[in-house]
Amino acid sequence: MSEAVDLSFLSDAERELILQVLQRDEELRKAEERRIRRLKNELLEIRRKGAKRGSQRYSERTCARCQQSLGRVSPKANTCHGCNHLVCRDCRAYGPNGSWRCKVCTKEAELKKATGDWFYDQRVNRFANRLGSDLVRLSLRYKAAASKRETVGQTLLQKAQLSDAKSSSAAQQKNTRSPLPTDGCVSLLFQGSIPWDLGLGASLGSRSSVLVDEREPIFKKNPRRVVRPAEYTKSVIDLRPEDFVGQSSSLGDRSKSVPGLATELDEEEEDIDNLVEIHRQRVARGSMRSGASSSTLGSMVSIYSEAGDFGNIAVTGGISFSLSYEQKTQTLFIHVKECRQLAYGDEAKKRSNPYVKTYLLPDKSRQGKRKTTIKRNTINPLYNELLKYEINKSLLLARTLQFSVWHHDRFGRNTFLGEVEIPMDSWNFDSQLEEFLPLHGKIGTDAAGLHQYKGELVVSMKYIPSPKHPGAGNGRKGKTGEGGELQVWIKEAKNLTAVKSGGTSDSFVKGYLLPHKNKAFKRKTPVVKKSLNPHYNHTFVYNGINPEDLQHICLELTVWDREPLSSNDFLGGVRLGVGNGMSNGQAVDWMDSTGEELNLWQKMRQYPGSWAEGTLQLRSTMAKMRP
Amino acid sequence: MTDGDYDYLIKLLALGDSGVGKTTFLYRYTDNKFNPKFITTVGIDFREKRVVYSTRSPNGSPGKAFKVHLQLWDTAGQERFRSLTTAFFRDAMGFLLMFDLTSQQSFLNVRNWMSQLQANAYCENPDIVLIGNKADLSDQREVNERQAKDLADKYGIPYLETSAATGQAVEQAVGALLDLVMKRMEQCVDKAPGAANGAGTAGPEPPAPRGARCAC
Repeated sequence: MSEAVDLSFLSDAERELILQVLQRDEELRKAEERRIRRLKNELLEIRRKGAKRGSQRYSERTCARCQQSLGRVSPKANTCHGCNHLVCRDCRAYGPNGSWRCKVCTKEAELKKATGDWFYDQRVNRFANRLGSDLVRLSLRYKAAASKRETVGQTLLQKAQLSDAKSSSAAQQKNTRSPLPTDGCVSLLFQGSIPWDLGLGASLGSRSSVLVDEREPIFKKNPRRVVRPAEYTKSVIDLRPEDFVGQSSSLGDRSKSVPGLATELDEEEEDIDNLVEIHRQRVARGSMRSGASSSTLGSMVSIYSEAGDFGNIAVTGGISFSLSYEQKTQTLFIHVKECRQLAYGDEAKKRSNPYVKTYLLPDKSRQGKRKTTIKRNTINPLYNELLKYEINKSLLLARTLQFSVWHHDRFGRNTFLGEVEIPMDSWNFDSQLEEFLPLHGKIGTDAAGLHQYKGELVVSMKYIPSPKHPGAGNGRKGKTGEGGELQVWIKEAKNLTAVKSGGTSDSFVKGYLLPHKNKAFKRKTPVVKKSLNPHYNHTFVYNGINPEDLQHICLELTVWDREPLSSNDFLGGVRLGVGNGMSNGQAVDWMDSTGEELNLWQKMRQYPGSWAEGTLQLRSTMAKMRP
Repeated sequence: MTDGDYDYLIKLLALGDSGVGKTTFLYRYTDNKFNPKFITTVGIDFREKRVVYSTRSPNGSPGKAFKVHLQLWDTAGQERFRSLTTAFFRDAMGFLLMFDLTSQQSFLNVRNWMSQLQANAYCENPDIVLIGNKADLSDQREVNERQAKDLADKYGIPYLETSAATGQAVEQAVGALLDLVMKRMEQCVDKAPGAANGAGTAGPEPPAPRGARCAC
């Protein structure tokens, strides 16, 4: 360990000073994180508003941003060099030297600067190039160390805090227990030596480059399932009531002693695909609807299975509330003051018995639901009620608070009166002023999710053309080994949504090479437990791919939270391809890559045999995204 | 100070031998004050300052103005903290490499600091400004300007002579570094989309050697 740093020489006073510095640094970093989250949401908003996705109409002469007809223009002069879309004059931003990019590409570039990604991407590359996969190993040791944005100060502070916890709680029983999964590497910051080098000594070969076979994992997965710990219940931050948690952990225990459970895997596999299908259908319908009725927000019929009638209520009025967050108890307080000018739930009798319901999306579970009392026969109900969520602040910032107002019908179904969503990361918690927001009709959670920042996926790709007789693909046709090889190195994901109690997710990445959506083209990474910044460090290999195929195929990567005893939760996804809406001469909806997705794919095609790496924003839905 | 009301967070780091005046330099820069007392820095520290950065368009007219929040890392020059301080190199976007104009030894050590930077910074050729401090003590001067300038030229970095005591060229030095960092940032994002130029058609730029310079 040549580069290991021994900090044991520091005195207590010195240690104290340095910790203070690190703590100040942390404050700055937290403010920076909030700022970045805000910025990313802005970009998503812009993207959602304008971008032409890979639709059938892609090749038509319309501006990719505002969908205006472009008439007879030269494609060459009107193509954005960032995304290769045709763009009209109004949707461009000109640089100082007279060159231009479309507004989305410009915004993306701005974001890269403003978030410091230009720097972090390079830094990651450098250390990744030189050290191979050891950053990954680091993250395996120190769970929290997974972000590319992580600084040395952060790592040190975390370790210091960890060692504090350790030394105070277990002064005598050294190394007995630690809150993080350690393999003996989390040494005490200022007492012993630290493997500072971020795993410098780690072997380069630790990257698992496995051609995934679908049948083989049955045995592999089984022990993993056993690992599912009861530690969940230890978490302070738990949105679920205790009985529920208890239940889930006892189920976990049960699976330990029932190895036969592995036989369910196949069914579960189908479940996942099923879920995507359902997800797609829902969103497709959702977007169809919102596209058609953007002007008549009120007359929407929901397809959601909520117990309630979305009827044909023309949504009116708004809700008045204030929010506050108490750090000490980690509680969000929602003061629901009143609603004004609501629609009538019972049009015939001109009556409304309204109540307000809240969720912290994406959690739509019953445990995440809060309700006010029902006020009788009024369209201006005064509640003055306090709804509470016990949730860690950083998790809260990833959520969206949804208010929905319902008319309670004692005999029939409840009627939807309107809703409003508030992304928590853009909320100013310092101001506890009362806020009045107008209600709108049902857009649907998935559509609302379109704005949502779902985190990022870091992927490196390499296309290796066939080494022998290039272009002689018809020698022994159909044999594997003919054609080139597509390698997809799934490195890590960042800022995933937490869906499990304790604020974590057990995620894995699934890959398909569209248009093929069968098992032969399915690849999966192992599950990385309890991390929102998982390092998969796993490579998918696809054989027999000719250079010209790269124009027609699309790599779909989706991230899932593994839920062994029910269906897995979708956490986000990306599609990598040429994004022109076409495959083998046919219009397809999945060839819809844009921005970074498109960039990365093209970069890979341009430089065969070398890795092209990119950080991709996860889409919150895999339905084709059109405004 | 840390309300996130800025456009860019830029992290710079000062390094150099013990006693060359890194801490007083930064104190002068952020607070415009001078503290003649020598208090050795324990490991690491940082100061912050909010500045406005204006881009200049090619014709020289002022362009957009940005609010930049500077996080200025101060490092201990003492050898015993070396392992700790060099670890922080990787988190900085630009470097103020300082020596003492009244100490030949501190100047000779610039080479060592350079190689430390090359090994530990975020890339092999980060933005650096070479700073000869204590320019006010002209009677004790041991390093002449020519010498220092030659060395800076060899590395292809700017050289400035400053005085934390009088404030001479302190602003300019940080400004020069900030300028370099901001330019690099622009280059990085400008280049990135170019790689995706034209589906199938060869881009106007030749394929850059990968990972050689800045990997973006």
